[in-house]
Amino acid sequence: MKILPLKINNLNYSVNGNNILKNINITCEESSITIIAGNNGSGKSTLLKILHGLIEVEKETITWNNYNNVKIKKYQSMVFQNPILLNRTVRENLEYIAQSNNKHRKHGAEEVIRRLNIKNIEHISAKYISGGERQKVAIAMAIIRDPKIIFLDEPTSQLDPVYKNEIEHIISSLSNDGVKIFMTTHDISQIKRIGKEIIFIEKGEVLYQNKVKYFFSDKHCELIKKYINYG
Amino acid sequence: MLVNILETAFNLIITLDSNLFEIINLSLKVTLSALFIAISISIPLGAYLVFYKNRFQSFVVLISNTLMGMPPVVLGLLIYTLVSKKGVFGFLDILYTPYAMVLAQTLLIIPIVVSLTYEEIYKKNKDYKLLLNSLNLSNYSKLKTLIYECRYALLTVALTGFGRASAEVGAVMIVGGNINHYTRVMTTAIAFETSKGSIELAVALGLILLIISLIITLIIKSLRKIG
Repeated sequence: MKILPLKINNLNYSVNGNNILKNINITCEESSITIIAGNNGSGKSTLLKILHGLIEVEKETITWNNYNNVKIKKYQSMVFQNPILLNRTVRENLEYIAQSNNKHRKHGAEEVIRRLNIKNIEHISAKYISGGERQKVAIAMAIIRDPKIIFLDEPTSQLDPVYKNEIEHIISSLSNDGVKIFMTTHDISQIKRIGKEIIFIEKGEVLYQNKVKYFFSDKHCELIKKYINYG
Repeated sequence: MLVNILETAFNLIITLDSNLFEIINLSLKVTLSALFIAISISIPLGAYLVFYKNRFQSFVVLISNTLMGMPPVVLGLLIYTLVSKKGVFGFLDILYTPYAMVLAQTLLIIPIVVSLTYEEIYKKNKDYKLLLNSLNLSNYSKLKTLIYECRYALLTVALTGFGRASAEVGAVMIVGGNINHYTRVMTTAIAFETSKGSIELAVALGLILLIISLIITLIIKSLRKIG
């Protein structure tokens, strides 16, 4: 099933009168990694949540190859900034997700445990593993559903360079396998390393959308210049 | 004098006094039956209330919270009027039977278990809401997951209910009648034996109640560590 292009038509979202997202119009045809960048509070995470259907908007606002967001939800997974794991062992977490998606429980878990190299922690309770391991398990939980689209909300923001590198490799390999990735990050070098397309948001408005390779050579407003220089 | 009383009380326990253990046996049967019925109704109800937010939910949560503090004697009186010969449920003919005592303890525990279950599941739902919504699960699957995730906390809730029911005296005295060899439980026996001056049996029963309370506290403590 083809899911691209993603079209966002005139998306507005506000909470208690505060406009979080204003008049967002995006067409995304890039099949690999799209980075959503912007300063804190710019609306990046909200946009991801809306794209994933965690925040409901009018059906016609978001379409994936002309399918509405509700139809595509089952092909999507999301990894949150603070990974949410159940109070069970790592393997039980994975088996739970596999089972709730009608996948073969043991086989599915085995495969992602091998792929993400987390065999050493599979029988440890999720509450006792490190931040980097939690992030890997959260990604494992996302990919066990065989999604076509994965949303990653600052997946490496709290990780050391070794884990960051490992997670980036996993993300790139998922993208190479044909999974569409939407990812928020503040890390300019990371954007250079793995991003293919970038959408820059400020105060709920899209300021820039283009290939990453042009992002660093194009002329920008002062705000994006600062973002690139200080990032 | 106190030493003599304690000595006699310990003797009653050690020699497995038939009268003492008959009372303990009935007490446990009544309380465990009430607990089983109460948690079967209250845990699903408490969990359901987290998901289905409407006027009914607010009303039930308000009523449960209010009834948590209801004096057992008032509840006993209410049940008495309902199941006595002239009451609406008089035809059931359960007044002064263990069934009426089970009913009283069940109604006593239900608001406690509903309120505490609601609180536990509500807290857990806050932690897991994004994940469960992301997984596109039905409300029923979410509910099952949250109940499982709260398993240790819910065991603590059940033990709290057990503790409340086993220590209760007013309601079971009114609807059970404290009939020897039939409806006499630990708490009513303590009150009765003390009033007639037979303090040894009362102290022995009091010690058993304290031991039960200690066991419950220790289990709750270890469950909190695990959970």
